[in-house]
Amino acid sequence: MKTAITVIGVLFAAGVAWPAEIHAPAQTIAGSAITISTSGSGEATFYLIGPASAIKQKVQAGSDIPLDGDKLDNAGRYVAVLCASDGCTSTSFSVNPAAANKLGMLVHPSRVPIGKPNGISTVAFVFDNFHNLVLKPQPIKFSILPKDGKAVSTNRDSENGVAWVRISSGNKEGATKIGAEIGHADEVRVVQQIAAEACNLRIKAGREKNAFVVETDPVRDCAGNSVPDGTVVSFTKTDAAGKTTVDVPIKRGIAKVQMPIDGRARITVASGVVTGNELEVAGSQ
Amino acid sequence: MSTPLRYSLLAVSFAAFICAVVVLRLGASASVEVPHVEFNADNIAPREIEDLTSQSVPRDYGFAWQTMEQALDENRPALLDGYFTGLAREDLKDRVAAQLKTGLRTHYEDRGHKLEAIFYAPAGDAMELHDHAQVDVQIFDGSKVIYEEPLSMEYIVLMTPGADRWLVRQIQALPSEKQ
Repeated sequence: MKTAITVIGVLFAAGVAWPAEIHAPAQTIAGSAITISTSGSGEATFYLIGPASAIKQKVQAGSDIPLDGDKLDNAGRYVAVLCASDGCTSTSFSVNPAAANKLGMLVHPSRVPIGKPNGISTVAFVFDNFHNLVLKPQPIKFSILPKDGKAVSTNRDSENGVAWVRISSGNKEGATKIGAEIGHADEVRVVQQIAAEACNLRIKAGREKNAFVVETDPVRDCAGNSVPDGTVVSFTKTDAAGKTTVDVPIKRGIAKVQMPIDGRARITVASGVVTGNELEVAGSQ
Repeated sequence: MSTPLRYSLLAVSFAAFICAVVVLRLGASASVEVPHVEFNADNIAPREIEDLTSQSVPRDYGFAWQTMEQALDENRPALLDGYFTGLAREDLKDRVAAQLKTGLRTHYEDRGHKLEAIFYAPAGDAMELHDHAQVDVQIFDGSKVIYEEPLSMEYIVLMTPGADRWLVRQIQALPSEKQ
């Protein structure tokens, strides 16, 4: 017995290296500092490999290794390795997302005709401060704030870090704000609501100097909103020579075209699927 | 030997040399194979997946893993530009840069992925997926293996469409059991 105690004492005194071991908490939260404990003795190399990092440093086996929170920003799997003279030992741990505090938002489309049911799609992704996707369900408030209108909101719980809603566009043209909110964080996108298809398209004919001119009344949709400039209006002339179509974009609310008229002709107008009135004209007019 | 014959032999030798270089180069770029990806979109919502998308998503996800594995094995960050975007690309480039700095590299033996699409945005501009991946991982410091382990990993993945392919925008490992 005395001999055994003496041998152990001598081994300690001689500084015989014990097998190195490394221990980390099984899980932690992104951005939180942790301490990794090691056992053994002597010089060793410590490695930490994470989703966006790889660290290598000299340590003393048997000492604790403090890791600052900024080394653990990314959620995912981390591997900690300790290599000493007798080989390498490792452990792994998970870094989980921190509290939800950011939203990523997709709103589509950026321009939508008024009165379109479920015309606007809004998707919100829930992130923590380090841009890790937060998978725990979170309540998200979606809201729509039309220009000169009353805000409307609805709540949805995120599922797997995502929440979404479909929103119908309003009846008035103009910029509409679409928002999503979680805690103190919010995101806003602007969707331009534009007039729908033209309604009650009407044309009139006249002369300007020596030319024959056909123009529309101000082009509006059925709710009275001006159809945006650039929308194409098609004028079609049918006479003895056949059929001629001229496409003209709306400028300052009306579409206007000069047409040579020889003899009797019929002029019709259309925009998209909407047709307007017809004119019977003669070249002498 | 006649002059035309000499020139012909020279041309043939040069062509053979070029072919050899090309073959070697192709061999290098295909040193990591495209992993097997089993795709399931049965539970996708709210938008139904299009036929073409159901082919391109698993194909591009496989290419993403292939290029990531090669980038981490050979410490070549430029490989990540092909199938990654946003923070996923930045994070992986940070990892490669850190590996280069510390002399580390990570080698994967990819045993396949079970990829399940769980969310497809109504406008078709984002998809969320769940990947069950089987990989053997080895980490080297120089030529010395400091860590090796067969892993069964779960990932949550966000992909968005690019000009001609789907790109990985976020890939986040979830806590999972070791095999």
